[in-house]
Amino acid sequence: MDKISELMDGELDEWQVHAQLSRVKQDERLLGCWDTFHLIGDIIRGEPSLSKEFSDTLSARLAKEPAVLVPRRTMAKRITTYALSAAASLSAIALVGWVAFSNAPHAPQADLAKGPRTPLPAVAPAPQFANAPSDGKMSDYLIAHEEFSPSTAIQGLGPYIRSVSSTQGARDQ
Amino acid sequence: MKRVCAIVVLLEFAAPALAAAIVPPTDGLAWLKKMTSASRQINYSGTIVYHHGGRTETSRIVHYVNPAGGEFERMETLDGPAREVIRTNDQVICYLPDTRTVTIEKRWKHRFPALLPENLTGIADNYVVRTGGVDRVAGLDCQVISLIPRDKLRYGRHFCAEPASGLTLRARTFNEKNEPIESFAFTELKIGGNFNRDKVRSRYAAKSRNWKVDHSAFSTADTPTDTGWVVTHQPAGFKKFTELTRSFAGRRAKVSHLIYSDGLAAVSVFIEPLPAIQPSQSLSHQGAVNIYVRSIANHMVTALGEAPAATVMQIANSLEFRSMAGK
Repeated sequence: MDKISELMDGELDEWQVHAQLSRVKQDERLLGCWDTFHLIGDIIRGEPSLSKEFSDTLSARLAKEPAVLVPRRTMAKRITTYALSAAASLSAIALVGWVAFSNAPHAPQADLAKGPRTPLPAVAPAPQFANAPSDGKMSDYLIAHEEFSPSTAIQGLGPYIRSVSSTQGARDQ
Repeated sequence: MKRVCAIVVLLEFAAPALAAAIVPPTDGLAWLKKMTSASRQINYSGTIVYHHGGRTETSRIVHYVNPAGGEFERMETLDGPAREVIRTNDQVICYLPDTRTVTIEKRWKHRFPALLPENLTGIADNYVVRTGGVDRVAGLDCQVISLIPRDKLRYGRHFCAEPASGLTLRARTFNEKNEPIESFAFTELKIGGNFNRDKVRSRYAAKSRNWKVDHSAFSTADTPTDTGWVVTHQPAGFKKFTELTRSFAGRRAKVSHLIYSDGLAAVSVFIEPLPAIQPSQSLSHQGAVNIYVRSIANHMVTALGEAPAATVMQIANSLEFRSMAGK
């Protein structure tokens, strides 16, 4: 955990950076820490990238914590403890949404923290969900969508088979 | 009278083909325009194979333009459970004999022309468009047109168009790893033919009189609506095409429908009040279409489109409701 904050503060040398990044990529808990730390940094710096309600809630929660939050080396351990307790008590959905968004490739605001941060390689949200074949309940939406897709305009009626394909074909699988 | 009509139809068919033979397009975008016009103007009938996720479905497809006005299309699946789709100027009708259901979807009144000029600009910005060599599909020579995505936010495409008519004989979609994830290809095709209403009539027209009918429609067919929903972080290259309010069969509440497009691919976002049985967040796919469902502020969001899952999810995850002044 403290290695993560050292990583953020640019206090590791290159081979350590690579090692820590691998750890973070493979451990969802560490990924969560990574994002939380940057969230806090943003709020402290007053970055406008968060919705007001979210920032306010987090700020209010952090304000109640009894320590001064300064992302400096000596305070690294404290940040770990207090940031996590504040974050844990926030809505899980909000964080999941945030992680999913901030990890989306080419997200316009992927640059969450300035400073000596090595950008985390874009993690596609897909691994969070298994992408299963459709269960056939989407026909209405698909038909409504085909009307507007330029791809359909180029090909003609063919793509509409998607709308009837899953309805009963899925039964055979 | 019949003879005169037949001659008129022949001339109408011959004219575009002649014009095409004189000036074949030289660049990929011009080919895309020609292919889109062909899909609406050329009479044809054939057998088309839809390949996706290791499965194959074969269908009979016909398209006719009535010289007196009106476009008619019919597609009938040849394997698995019988299914039929009929599309006319005004509506799309799906006949599902197994469930004895007919679904009717009214079409949007603004039948936008072949490919809007802004679509073509969008395509060039987001894809590298290349004309390739000549291939052969359904016994016909065809010109290959490739669209290579400039980034990972969209899928690659590959079309093969019949040179004289411009009809799309084959269309493939490739994912980020350049694997084909969906393919439409004719195995047999007859271009031309006279318009005959019987050829585009549903075989279930009579039988379906007692079936359950589901109607879906736009509640404001003419003008785009301000639904109050906004996507705050659109994936690069995607622009909002329009937004509408609509109804779906079996659902009382109105549904907001936003459409985003990069010129070639489109992502639709449907927003409606949460149903009684709340859906869990999920990701699924149908061919090249990724479908993502999530909840936000007492609403259910269903986003789907022919784009990578990450793109569809980004659009849905950055949705916000901005209350409308005075509403």
